[in-house]
Amino acid sequence: MSDEPRDATATAAADADAEVTGGLADRWASFRDREISTVLLTVVGVAVFPFLFNNFLDGYTQLATLMLIYGIFAVGFDILLGYTGLLSFGHAVFFGGAAYAAGIFSASVSTSPLLVLLAGTVFAVLLAWIVGFLSLRRGGIYFAILTLTFGQMSFYLAASPLAFLTNGENGFTSVDIGHLLGVIDIHGGVPFPLTMLVDNMLYVFVAVMTVLSVAMANRILHSPYGTVFRAIRENERRAEFVGLDVWRYKLMAFIISAAFAGIAGSLFAIEGNYVPLQSLYWTESGRIVIMTVLGGVGSLFGPLFGAGLYLYIENIVSGFETLGPFWHLILGVVFVVAVVLFPNGIWGGIDYVRDMVVGGEDE
Amino acid sequence: MTLLADILTILLNGLQQGAIYVLLAVGLSIILGTLKFVNFAHGALYLVGAYLGLFITGQVPLNNGQLAEWGIQSYGIGLGFIAALIIVPIVVFVIGLLMERFIAQAFYDRPDTDQILVTFGLAIIVQEMLRALLGGSSQPFPQPSWASGPIALPVVGNFPRWRLGVIAITAVLVLGVYALVEYTDFGLIVQAGTLDGEMVRLLGIRLSRPYLVVFGIGAALAGVAGVVGGPLANVNPNIGTEQLVPAFLTVVIGGVGKIEGAVVAGLMLGTLQVLLIQTGYAAWSQVGIYALAALVLLVRPQGLLGSEVDVS
Repeated sequence: MSDEPRDATATAAADADAEVTGGLADRWASFRDREISTVLLTVVGVAVFPFLFNNFLDGYTQLATLMLIYGIFAVGFDILLGYTGLLSFGHAVFFGGAAYAAGIFSASVSTSPLLVLLAGTVFAVLLAWIVGFLSLRRGGIYFAILTLTFGQMSFYLAASPLAFLTNGENGFTSVDIGHLLGVIDIHGGVPFPLTMLVDNMLYVFVAVMTVLSVAMANRILHSPYGTVFRAIRENERRAEFVGLDVWRYKLMAFIISAAFAGIAGSLFAIEGNYVPLQSLYWTESGRIVIMTVLGGVGSLFGPLFGAGLYLYIENIVSGFETLGPFWHLILGVVFVVAVVLFPNGIWGGIDYVRDMVVGGEDE
Repeated sequence: MTLLADILTILLNGLQQGAIYVLLAVGLSIILGTLKFVNFAHGALYLVGAYLGLFITGQVPLNNGQLAEWGIQSYGIGLGFIAALIIVPIVVFVIGLLMERFIAQAFYDRPDTDQILVTFGLAIIVQEMLRALLGGSSQPFPQPSWASGPIALPVVGNFPRWRLGVIAITAVLVLGVYALVEYTDFGLIVQAGTLDGEMVRLLGIRLSRPYLVVFGIGAALAGVAGVVGGPLANVNPNIGTEQLVPAFLTVVIGGVGKIEGAVVAGLMLGTLQVLLIQTGYAAWSQVGIYALAALVLLVRPQGLLGSEVDVS
């Protein structure tokens, strides 16, 4: 196919590696790099996912919903870890914090799902501003430890001194979610044509948010702003010498990723009508780290995949007779192997195999 | 007089509370300071120390976990506490050496985030292995019989004998490590290596052996902390991760690589916690230590005794 003229609309990125690739890979790259195709892929993915999942993988719709929620969380986390190179061990604060904020908002201000979602996300963003401002005072390992510190602080704050707001160890139980836009019962069923794919409205709502989140992440990462993030990951000092205000970009990356965590956390509160105290504990931060790294840091879909895999193992594999008691152990081993041998996670592996098949095409 | 007694009691309790933080933090700190390696599995070494201590001191009945399902009713060899205090650090020292050789070494040149990730994964493996085999329930770690009960101290009055023991053991170990680092040739090489590894190598000194030993010592301290801290609370698979966070705080507050910094910070955190509990603010006792850490870092990002150079 080498005699085919190159697609004129191919982006510069595709141009650059086109010399080693054939027409197929070339066209794939030009397709892949367009924003609309990323969004379309996501739409198709979330639409058929519950159908396939429920019918072939012993899954159930509630788990599929949860996978998407954690997927949003992981996509945001990857903007920080994979693209900017900052490892936060306190992201549960934004997830759990948003969940609490959303829950409390729904119980005392408005039950509109969209407003609840907005309230939780805004809370996460404001919190991230403060935590990021303090944690980014030092880089590298200190950043991880400091985010961990603030995470634990919020957990213990919610556990007792703020128990009058958060209901302490019992978790926040008074979440009250009304109808979407006043008409759609979010915890109800779906109208006819959709019933072939999913069976409740909640999934549709979360799926729409997932598509929006992926589109947003894609837009950010492919903008000049996202390029700066990558520059910082590659070499912070060099980015500084070029004249970039590295500190401010890092803070923005932190806040952006917290916004995703906030969306996910709010959806989590809406989904379960309940916010467990555990959602602030640092093991929750650890979970999102594992999901993102397993799925593949530095890719858009890897984290979504990792979140799904983690929750699948947690909910389905843990029920198996022989493997069940060891599921967490197995996950730990897989995680360590991934860190040591496959730093780009499962998605990196898929990319690798695809490159072998379609031809060398590397970023 | 009673006010003085109250103050001294709070201080002593704070010393005891902080002692475990100090033991863990000194190990973390020397590994971080000399090898520039972030060990998120340090809490797991504490956990191993506690379970190993339990195994050596007595017979522990098992009622859940895989071992129980496989028909094993109890585990333990019943050699007593002194034996545990001697054997555990040796075993955990060896575990530390293995960790350095087979895991840490491969990660010295990789980004710190990778170091954190791999040790975090290791911690999960250790914790979940213990949970799967021995069950997740808490097991009491009995105090050694010779150290149970109170002892009458001047001014303070009655004070639990074991708590005093914890303070004493910590003091001896930390002083030992301090002396080793400050006053021996070994310590000199390690310190020089920390400052300028390249130069030390040019002088013909191989640094890999001293670094290996530093890792082992750090690990052994975590193991001892497990044995010493075990009887203060029950032993369950979560204690490792629970202790890791305050231990890290202690390191960061004190200043990385500074043994005396870890001691000061550990005692500060311990005393603050005890103070909050005894003055009726128990709910704030956990929040307090994190707030203190945040405060110190705002004022002195390099830690109380850390040097400016460390700030990265």
